[in-house]
Amino acid sequence: MGEISNLVMFLLEWLNQFSAETLVISATVIGAGLTMIAGIGPGIGQGFAAGKGAEAVGKNAENSNNITLVMLLGAAVAETSGIFSLVVALILLYSNPLIGLEAAGFVLAASALGAGLAMIAGIGPGIGQGYAAGKGAERVGSRPEYQGLIVRVMLLGQAVGQTTGIYALVVALILLFANPFLG
Amino acid sequence: MSGEALIQAASAIGAGLAMIAGIGAGIGQGFAAGKGAEAVGKQPEAQGVIVRTMLLGAAVAETTGIYGLVIALILLFANPFV
Repeated sequence: MGEISNLVMFLLEWLNQFSAETLVISATVIGAGLTMIAGIGPGIGQGFAAGKGAEAVGKNAENSNNITLVMLLGAAVAETSGIFSLVVALILLYSNPLIGLEAAGFVLAASALGAGLAMIAGIGPGIGQGYAAGKGAERVGSRPEYQGLIVRVMLLGQAVGQTTGIYALVVALILLFANPFLG
Repeated sequence: MSGEALIQAASAIGAGLAMIAGIGAGIGQGFAAGKGAEAVGKQPEAQGVIVRTMLLGAAVAETTGIYGLVIALILLFANPFV
């Protein structure tokens, strides 16, 4: 245990030699990378939707237009988590509000890291909404006359699934733009 | 660097980590949405009870995501250590 705390102290003292701006920039670039990990979710979810869409078209080729429409609609919803993460990453890189603030460099740096970590939650809605898109496309292939109803239920469920992604976005934006630890 | 600054820094990281819990609710509620759409496609006349059940289950799935949000907000705005 003593060796670990010595290592941490050494690391902190080594970091302390850098200016606050350098520390927050270093954390910003790591945070931008962490944010993009959320792309895992839409990738998996939309892939599932594509597979179910292909399967449905194979079974009901005459309904391929309906199937494709529902698949793309659901996939577009699943994309949103990826877009949120991209926006936060671009904010961190090009419009970082934490750079240049008068505050402890470590607090600024950790806030940038925390914002990036929070956005990883986007994995969840991406996977879940993509699954919903796939099931919606599948059912529309079997019963195109129920398309309106199926899409409504799919979108309702996807909206509920989005909530934790929104929470994470709010926490990230709080850490960036309304940080309670500064000032 | 003061001790207070280190605690604040760690709190920011902790708040971010807490939100990662949202992954679960996102996946689970999306699965519920898919099965709900599937069931409605098979039995549209049962739409009301299907949607009600789906939303009830999704509300239960939301709870751990709310817990994560509460902890993150506590760390940010009502931190017992700062």
